[in-house]
Amino acid sequence: MSGRRPVRDGLLVGNLETGEAVGLAGARCRACGEATLGRNLLCPNCGSEDVEPLALSAKGKVWTYTVVRYPPPGDYKGADPFRPFALGLVELPDGLRVLAPLACAPEEVRIGMDVVFQPRVRPDGVVQFEYALASEGTAQ
Amino acid sequence: MSDVVIIGAGIHPFGRFDKSAEEIGSFAARAALQDAGVAWADVQASYLSRMYLPATSGARILRRLGGTDMPIVDVEAACASGGAALHQALLAIRSGECEVVMVLGAEKMPRGFMDPRMIYADWQIEMGMSLNPAYWSMRAMRHMYEFGTTELQIAKIAHKNHNNSVHNPNAMYQKAFSLEEILNSPLVCDPIRRLEICAPDDGAAAVVVASADFARRIGARKPIRIAACVHTIARYSADFRCPADSMSATAHNDGPTEVTAAKAYERAGLGASDVNCFEVQDTDAFCELEIYEELQLCPLGEGGRLIDEGVTEIGGKHPVNMSGGLISKGEPVGASHLGQVVELVAQLRGEAGPRQVEGAKVGLGHVLGAGGNCAVTILQR
Ligand SMILES: [Zn+2]
Repeated sequence: MSGRRPVRDGLLVGNLETGEAVGLAGARCRACGEATLGRNLLCPNCGSEDVEPLALSAKGKVWTYTVVRYPPPGDYKGADPFRPFALGLVELPDGLRVLAPLACAPEEVRIGMDVVFQPRVRPDGVVQFEYALASEGTAQ
Repeated sequence: MSDVVIIGAGIHPFGRFDKSAEEIGSFAARAALQDAGVAWADVQASYLSRMYLPATSGARILRRLGGTDMPIVDVEAACASGGAALHQALLAIRSGECEVVMVLGAEKMPRGFMDPRMIYADWQIEMGMSLNPAYWSMRAMRHMYEFGTTELQIAKIAHKNHNNSVHNPNAMYQKAFSLEEILNSPLVCDPIRRLEICAPDDGAAAVVVASADFARRIGARKPIRIAACVHTIARYSADFRCPADSMSATAHNDGPTEVTAAKAYERAGLGASDVNCFEVQDTDAFCELEIYEELQLCPLGEGGRLIDEGVTEIGGKHPVNMSGGLISKGEPVGASHLGQVVELVAQLRGEAGPRQVEGAKVGLGHVLGAGGNCAVTILQR
């Protein structure tokens, strides 16, 4: 039995075992047009049930960010021992911004820079996600 | 509609104490009763504002004041709990059901960052998104990018509030820091530093609220009118604040402070320029800067100019956080808004000592926190 599972049900699409086409799951409301993160049966904007699944774009831009300099409280599964890391609010062309760790040196981050989605498989088999700086190779 | 007034106010210092919630809570409640000149037996209902204390804490704390069969209800709305509780008292009196109501805020909190499971889902915690200051800091970063707000301007707000705290015996920290000390304190989440954020702590504050008729009958000393008390939660995607995992890039709703303040100004029949003193949610120093704009003290993007010009210092045109703010008092969540109200009552009575804003007639208290819970109370003498 394979151990890979998403960090939250309904948050990821694609094949977690092979890593093929893994991305963020989203939903779009047919009534008001709002796009939201994760599987969603009700639109949080207008309350409509007329919501369709949407695979969110892999590419986005840093809308804002911070550098987390203290270990977050609770059961944090990041680097051990703790290393400061950048946390970004990434704007996607689908019309929403998603909060996620940024997989780069904190001092490299600037508002407006291009980033790209990447899954991160933890040693315990849980698949979470982050954004990496888009380079020639990744941003097609 | 007949007026509702505050006839008594009491506070237990904010800080860290080897005392139970029952001890600090009953201390503040008794002080408020004494100030009002009202017996516990005259109070007809009580509301406890708290977030971290266990169920039925209101009854546990207030039973210490003597046997009673009045309704005692715990109220929770994150950092806005105190506004929600005060609003319940207002409704109880306006309905005619009660003439005298106790509103107590009390909290005892663990040291350090708050337990993230109170508000975050497991996956957010595992991915490192459970540090509340990270959310405040991302707002600050965006504001700096859009409007050119500087780290120095943010530090000036912390500097002002720490300076004010020196005159507040009820603050946890009563110490002034130089701008250099603030700017050299360690970054918590860029650009927000250690001396620019508030810490959770213990504390209690209480007011006795009554109908204006009752206040007249007993000859209440310096009653303070509640001109407005409004609690709202943020509109759809209007507020990127913990524990949000995403936000809309297309919806453009007014933020919770803007909405709550607009309603409160309208109900009070007053505008920002009529308010002589403010106590606001400085969970971090940037948050206060943003609130200047959202309370309509200045146009969007000009919060930095306001602190540069000294407008919000005691002696300025619109003093903010005369008490030292949460940055120096700490934030005992359930007690924080009632603590603001106690400060404003002292200001409007002209009894705030070295923190006094000369001739203050109108004061505004503001709290904002998790889930976009926001409350604004406007008091008038
Ligand atoms: Zn909708």
